Amino acid sequence: MANRFCVSLTHAKDNNDKATVAFVVANAAVGSSKETLVFLSVEGVRLAQKGYADDIREEGFAPLRELMENFAKAGGTIYVCSPCFKKRKLDENNLVAGASIVGGAKLVEFLADGSPCVSY
Amino acid sequence: MSARLEADAEWDAGDLGCGELVLELRSRLAALPPGGALRLIALDAGAPADIPAWCRMTGHTLVSQQHPVYLIRRKET
Repeated sequence: MANRFCVSLTHAKDNNDKATVAFVVANAAVGSSKETLVFLSVEGVRLAQKGYADDIREEGFAPLRELMENFAKAGGTIYVCSPCFKKRKLDENNLVAGASIVGGAKLVEFLADGSPCVSY
Repeated sequence: MSARLEADAEWDAGDLGCGELVLELRSRLAALPPGGALRLIALDAGAPADIPAWCRMTGHTLVSQQHPVYLIRRKET
């Protein structure tokens, strides 16, 4: 059984439902003692900005900010697609806990040993 | 002996499910000494499938399962 788990998320406020469920599943993985990565790309990179997710709350789920904070506190890692972030002219000095801006090689390295990945 | 009598701690998770349930469950188990037992009440419809799977992955022992009541013993190491 792989000890790593990746969740790929390409949405932010363009699909609050997907953004929320992605972090719920990521928390299931990190809570199951998996080394867990959330890869934010395309619109998803906006979630890496502190404060952005504060008003996202899907019915039936905890607020997204809380889900993200719990993920980071549990040791989860967030990779933020560098060109996607740059394209949107976001602030690299205002990242949420657990997030770092990376290029594709870091994602490939994480996945290369056979890590499963679920995409939202 | 009932599950209640064997438990060192109890957590009523209410209707928490999926990642929110197991992430908090992880913390609750970690707070117990090795070999300690937690009596969990989890109302979520996914819990009967998720809790055994979670125990298999993490190495904790599912002592008993009578939805919505679960008795989980923390692994020794």
